Amino acid sequence: MSNKKKEFFLVRWAKRCFLGDRSELSTEEEERIQTPMRAMLSSFVHKPLAMMGLIVFLAIFVFVLVGPKIWPLDLSDQDASLTNLPPSRDMMSVPKEMLAAGVADIASGNTYGLGTDVNGKLYIWGQTRVTDKIDMADIPQEVQDADLTYIAAGTDHCVAVAADGQVYVWGNTRLQQDKFTTDMTKAMKKGGDAWDVIQLEASNQFSAIVTSDGNLYLWGNGNMADIKLRSKYEGKIAKVALTENEYICLLTDGTVAYTGYKDKNSPFAKIPAELKGKTVVDIASTSKSVAAVTEDGEIIVWGNATKGEADVPALSSKPVHLYGGRYHYTALLENGDVVSWGNNKYHQIDVPDAVNSADNIERIFVSNYQNYALGSDGKLYTWGLKGFTLGTDSLGRDMLTRIVNGGRVTMTVGAISVIIATILGVLFGGIAGYFGGKLDILIMRIAEIVGGLPFIPFAMILSAVIGTRLDPTQRMYLIMVVLGVLSWVPTCRLVRAQILAQREMEYVTAAKAMGIREGTIVFRHILPNVISLLIVSMTLDFATCMLTESTLSYLGFGIPLPTPTWGNLLNGANNSIVIQQYWWQWVFPAAIFGVCTICINLIGDGLRDALDPKALER
Amino acid sequence: MGKYIAKRIGYMALVFLIVSFLMYSLYNLIPTDPARAELEAQKMSLKPAEYEQMYQQLRQKMGLDDPLVVRYMRWMGLWPDVDGSGFNGLLQGNFGYSQFFKKDVVDVISAPMGNTIFINIFSTILALGITIPLGIYCAVHKGRKIDNGVQVVTMLGYSLPIYIIALIFMFFFCVHWRIFPISGTKTAGAIYATRWDEFIDMLYHITLPVIVMTFASLGGMTRYVRSAMIDALSMDYIRTARAKGLKEKVVIYSHAWRNALLPIITSIIGWFISIFSGSVIIENTFSLNGMGKLYWTGLNNLDFELVLAIQMFYTIVSLVGSLLMDISYGLVDPRVRVDK
Repeated sequence: MSNKKKEFFLVRWAKRCFLGDRSELSTEEEERIQTPMRAMLSSFVHKPLAMMGLIVFLAIFVFVLVGPKIWPLDLSDQDASLTNLPPSRDMMSVPKEMLAAGVADIASGNTYGLGTDVNGKLYIWGQTRVTDKIDMADIPQEVQDADLTYIAAGTDHCVAVAADGQVYVWGNTRLQQDKFTTDMTKAMKKGGDAWDVIQLEASNQFSAIVTSDGNLYLWGNGNMADIKLRSKYEGKIAKVALTENEYICLLTDGTVAYTGYKDKNSPFAKIPAELKGKTVVDIASTSKSVAAVTEDGEIIVWGNATKGEADVPALSSKPVHLYGGRYHYTALLENGDVVSWGNNKYHQIDVPDAVNSADNIERIFVSNYQNYALGSDGKLYTWGLKGFTLGTDSLGRDMLTRIVNGGRVTMTVGAISVIIATILGVLFGGIAGYFGGKLDILIMRIAEIVGGLPFIPFAMILSAVIGTRLDPTQRMYLIMVVLGVLSWVPTCRLVRAQILAQREMEYVTAAKAMGIREGTIVFRHILPNVISLLIVSMTLDFATCMLTESTLSYLGFGIPLPTPTWGNLLNGANNSIVIQQYWWQWVFPAAIFGVCTICINLIGDGLRDALDPKALER
Repeated sequence: MGKYIAKRIGYMALVFLIVSFLMYSLYNLIPTDPARAELEAQKMSLKPAEYEQMYQQLRQKMGLDDPLVVRYMRWMGLWPDVDGSGFNGLLQGNFGYSQFFKKDVVDVISAPMGNTIFINIFSTILALGITIPLGIYCAVHKGRKIDNGVQVVTMLGYSLPIYIIALIFMFFFCVHWRIFPISGTKTAGAIYATRWDEFIDMLYHITLPVIVMTFASLGGMTRYVRSAMIDALSMDYIRTARAKGLKEKVVIYSHAWRNALLPIITSIIGWFISIFSGSVIIENTFSLNGMGKLYWTGLNNLDFELVLAIQMFYTIVSLVGSLLMDISYGLVDPRVRVDK
């Protein structure tokens, strides 16, 4: 025993705290003498409710620990096209009847799809609700009956053109999405060649039609978009590509032109020099950029291509058609290959291998984050954004990502505050309890004042006053410190009371007789005997600190947005619209947080009951 | 007893001074300038030199250049005003001037204070009226199904944050069934024939907040009462009382309950203070015109004197609470001689 290597004192201390000094005992002795800690643990595992709490809590803990790696948080992330979406995975679930009948055409909107089968029947799928009154799935009967030749899906409206030239608009029509221009109605009346539609497009609250005589008709919300055409281009339009608020045209002479009136300040009006003298065969657009395919197979992108839209990969053969999503392009090549590039947040450029091995892709339909590829055998391939499991919030952010990352922040803040509070409590409690006298009175008076302060208002004032000059990260540390500094009092009282009781025990007298320093006696002899009680109080305090942090964040005085926590996710949920219509925005964070705190309390209660044999009688 | 109370009040006054001084100095860390805010309206119509002169005069008049301690004592009413007209501070009933509402703080806080105290007292009485009988019942019927059921519900009550409880109640009562209004203390645009109608309308509006606050505070308190009663019921004198052939009612209410009261009193006060804290959240969630909502508004707009006045209100509530606790110790338990 004497030649045993001396362990580092901290290791020995920890062993004494948690395991007891086992090495010097025989098995028989060991069975008789158990540390309170081990007795507590062995009693704890036989409590079903507490164990269930522990398992669920550990599951949540692992979830928020590992989750941020799977769903990383991007603080600047927001997307106006994906706001307030309910939980779903059906944005690309094309109806089976439509596939069975044979797909004729597909138009993909932001969060929904519109399609016709070969019999001319119209289908709609995905998230079609615009407001609580307007739902694009309510297709008017006249549209159902009509023989549709073209369909298009905008942000919040759908357009269809029938074989007889009739144009139908449904969905949100409050912003003049269905108000045709006078030129257009004139052309419609004239009919014949003047109204021979060859292209129909719809975008953010405006729509466009190109006719075979080279005319372009734009209509919709003119406040949002540039929906005018310069008269010098009349009769020369071959194709149009709509971005979010503007458009460009492919002219019949094979050049690209910005034909609207915003050309002074539009990033699209500056047609790149590379296109000069070359014939363009196809154009496409994303929400903020446009692209052109030249005769010799070159793809040129311009506009606000900030999300990688301009990084055209090396193509294996000449592109035939080009399609644009919200932040990505998809090209169909001459050899039947399909290539996507641009932003890949929702895997919208991960073309499935099945598509490239199919070799018979006829048409591709791309919009927002969705891609549909139709093979000549009628098989439909989809890739891109299916939907959000837990919905999105009012800024189009994925709730799942925010809940997972918010959980990590809330738990970190809770844990660190508890550690701060425990250190302070043990220190002050230990000093007050062991030394007594004037020091005791002073510490207990301070504890009384701090403990008597109304917690939430005081934490709010500290956060507001000190927090004004801090950046978000520093403010997070501030919240930890504030919570820690305001909640050490119960721990202090507990430790003091325990030490007062332990001080009179024989082993302390023995230690004193051996001439051990007083500080050593308190922290290395008495404290290990108190540690099990301390763990119980830490567990319960952890739940309290998490609750307080979330409450402060809920009130706007905790962790500031956009950093998510379980508290500030619920900030702004207290109005009837959110409560009723956007229930997923508060139910999921509230549920996971509620379950988490309940589990921690179950564990704490279980530990306390396990520690106190008297409690078993209760 | 009288001597003890006097001593406690003296101690309270000292604590109040310390806390208020701390709060005052803390608040002085905020970079605000009431003199500049006061002159902001006239800034355009004045020449720079003139403006500067008026600004300095105003600073002088407001005493902004004096040391912190002097300003604090002036605010508290322990130091004569700048013009020497005498004491005019918190102790004289002058709570200061709200920069945000452009009104005296007294006028700003009087109505909300009434609302808050009304709501809090109401829900305290309601909660005590439910928790004490419930706790006693559970203790007496310990281990039965009903006791276990209550344990689960109270667990929810103290585990869930109050605003989540509020959201759930709002969902069912305001949105789903449309029984109660979702926010405010009176019907928008209502003109009342009598004060009684006004009172009834207010009661209607605060019903749901009071229910939520009561529900949220049920958890902790029921558990306290239950465990205190269980402790008391396991004592030897209960066995003696039963052996004497006393009625079970007498045993429970006269022997056990009186002994269980002491630990309960301790927790009641802390709980009462936490209800006032919690009303900050409830008032914001339900948009009630109360102190908590006002406090939130004041903090968001850096309204220095308003927030300080409300903070002092909270401090006084907690101090008076702890005094009541100590006094009631002596009243409840003759063994505790507080005037020693």
